[in-house]
Amino acid sequence: MPEVAANGTRLYYQQAGDGPDVVLVHAVTSNQAIWLFSGLFDALAADHRVTSYDLRGHGQSARPPAGYTSADMADDLAALHAALGLRPAVILGHSFGGVTGLHAAARHPDAVRGVILSDSFFPGLRHVEPNFGKMQLWTEVREKFALVGVTLGDTVDFAELFRQSAALSPEKLSNLEAIYGTFGRGWVRQLPQLAGTTCGDDVMAVAGLTADAIAAVRQPVVALYDEFSPFLATCRWLAANLPACTAEIIPGAKHLAMLENAAGFADAVRRHLARIEHPTGG
Amino acid sequence: MTPPDRVLADLAAVVRRTFPDRDFPDAVGPETRVLADLGLASIDIVVLAEQLGTFYGKRLPFGTFLKGLRDRGADDIALGELVTFLQANL
Repeated sequence: MPEVAANGTRLYYQQAGDGPDVVLVHAVTSNQAIWLFSGLFDALAADHRVTSYDLRGHGQSARPPAGYTSADMADDLAALHAALGLRPAVILGHSFGGVTGLHAAARHPDAVRGVILSDSFFPGLRHVEPNFGKMQLWTEVREKFALVGVTLGDTVDFAELFRQSAALSPEKLSNLEAIYGTFGRGWVRQLPQLAGTTCGDDVMAVAGLTADAIAAVRQPVVALYDEFSPFLATCRWLAANLPACTAEIIPGAKHLAMLENAAGFADAVRRHLARIEHPTGG
Repeated sequence: MTPPDRVLADLAAVVRRTFPDRDFPDAVGPETRVLADLGLASIDIVVLAEQLGTFYGKRLPFGTFLKGLRDRGADDIALGELVTFLQANL
């Protein structure tokens, strides 16, 4: 399996294509399969060298007990970038993957040519975001967990989600897997494994990526936010405060634009990649 | 074109070798479902795609195949569909 030792852990990655480097970073509790299933990995690989990987603790990567803040994850990304010998890359990050990408731009500017965010919430911008913790996706998780007798709070709390999942009896976990169906079952199965890590709390930590640190990122940043995103205040803040930020709304999407509006999302990514890679229009 | 029986046999062998610790059914056929019957998860599909690419010595356009399944609302992948996909791309 293609793996790389990076920043004291082991990351599982995929790579294909030739051309400018693009690195795809998934969200918390997701994995790199989302880029394959959405078709985006193959679409971009037509004229880019595309690298996707599983964040530590996720998918096929190693699951160390600690080190899950965006600073840790940015260092993982930079170490993977160096180990694979990539050129300065555009980082496309979904949700927390975008936080990781922007933190990498701040901490490892030589590795990051630009960042494309997909519907990211930043702990460092919690003060500008009235909808913190309120997500349709979380509501759906709450409703499904309630069916097996688990009461989750009304705002996003990954640590609690992991703890409650780990406390489920084998029978209830099996019931929950059945509720989620074949495509969601793998997502359910990994939740208890993350209970033994600091991931749930770490991903909500500012970890140095303050509002000032975000506003100091000089590389081009694209803020792709979903039409029905809870984080549109964040999108507006980024567009107003970053020196080189372009914002665009992806129609019809709620938080998973690469699946919910695959064609619109892929089109936006390709247009902005071209703009970043050919800034003079040449 | 490689005969479907041969591709199915190769596919079953790669699946068993890629996930040696899983408890797969003894007999699989074109109707066997990758998620529901074999119990693979989405990340397993990434690993399987990579291992099939290694087995056949070429990168296979799995993303296009999977997106096609999603676009028509499929909730699983039959081994027979995978065989047809592999035949078309070998």
